[in-house]
Amino acid sequence: MQPPVITLTECSKRFGERLALRKATLRVAGGETVVVLGPNGAGKSTLLRLVAGLLRPTAGSARIGDVEAISAPKDVRAGIAYAGHQPQLYRGLTASENLALHLRLHQTTADTQALLEQVGLGDRADERIDGFSRGMLQRLALARATAHQPVLLLLDEPASGLDADGRALLDDTLRAGIGQRTQLVASHDHELAARLGVREVRLDNGGIA
Amino acid sequence: MIGAALTIARVKLVLEIRRREVIFAMLLFIAATIVIVHFALSGDTGAGTRAAAGMLWAAVVFTAVLGLLRTFSAEHEGGVLDALLLAPIDRAAIWLGTALAQFGFLVVIEVVAVPVWWALFFQQDGPSIGTVVVALLLADIGIALVGTLSAALALGARTRDVLLPVLVLPLLIPVVLGGVTATYGAFGEEVGGLQPLGFLALYDLVFIALAWGTSDHLLGD
Repeated sequence: MQPPVITLTECSKRFGERLALRKATLRVAGGETVVVLGPNGAGKSTLLRLVAGLLRPTAGSARIGDVEAISAPKDVRAGIAYAGHQPQLYRGLTASENLALHLRLHQTTADTQALLEQVGLGDRADERIDGFSRGMLQRLALARATAHQPVLLLLDEPASGLDADGRALLDDTLRAGIGQRTQLVASHDHELAARLGVREVRLDNGGIA
Repeated sequence: MIGAALTIARVKLVLEIRRREVIFAMLLFIAATIVIVHFALSGDTGAGTRAAAGMLWAAVVFTAVLGLLRTFSAEHEGGVLDALLLAPIDRAAIWLGTALAQFGFLVVIEVVAVPVWWALFFQQDGPSIGTVVVALLLADIGIALVGTLSAALALGARTRDVLLPVLVLPLLIPVVLGGVTATYGAFGEEVGGLQPLGFLALYDLVFIALAWGTSDHLLGD
């Protein structure tokens, strides 16, 4: 599967009275990594959820390759990974069980223990995650998002809750993905794009500046 | 699709076994309801077969609603629904897996509740248990289907705890009608032209088709 191209054209999203995203136009080439910067409430999460196909645009379009993201077929969804504000993990399952479930639903296999060791959770594999700290959940969410080798990785403020080691791990993961997959990262970290040597776009008040 | 649905159902059953959030509350509720109604009738076992049948089905339906309030709670609290929606599976599998788990919860509570009901209301001449069990199983399928569909509809609402019973109870009236009639018929009473078990099976088929056709829209944006 070729890495997808993200194309947002005059894309708007309204929640009731509030316009969360205003005529955003953005193109991300296959294999490119883009950091989306902006203050709280700027529309970063909405933009990522539109690209993931988890929200339907109120106006305009959000496309992945040739298809509208909201109606992406299974083979396109198989290549997408999205990690948002919530860890998207079952609190009553162990770390290992959560990853195994994710892999099963993606009809793929991988060594869950190795995946957990990559994010520093190898010794917590059999613990239920309802006792995990925010940082540990964020590490596990990163492992989940990359476990099925996605061609499009969407991360929404992935550094929140991470300690210094965790942020270094995140940087390494993003750096390893440059040129290998398309990556769109919403962040408050103004240095992230410079550290990775990638493009950044700024969102403010729902519009791309 | 069936594989994904079974995977989701298994996860929900594992979560319930570990957390005991739903079934325990449902068991207490249905047992308390049956006992309270028994005492409300002053232990009068001659209160009538229709009253006993109606009491069982009212208790089953209200207990089911109690469980349905937690239908997507595990997915909602951790944002898991996003991960399920992005997985390369049919969205109907999410609904079907959830309905299967709900069906399992109902069967478990009925395994406990029906003997209690039987012991309190019928010392000797009870209904044909086979008919009652088949009626309950058919009804459980319908309740799980309709309940999961309604829970998906109410998912995004802030007042979903209020909205869900309002949505689901009117839709379950045919289940109560079919169930009571089947149970009454199991006493050997004349139930008229209605074939209650066939009616319950038809109800299930209608809602299978409806849920199948709408799950993409209900579980999407």
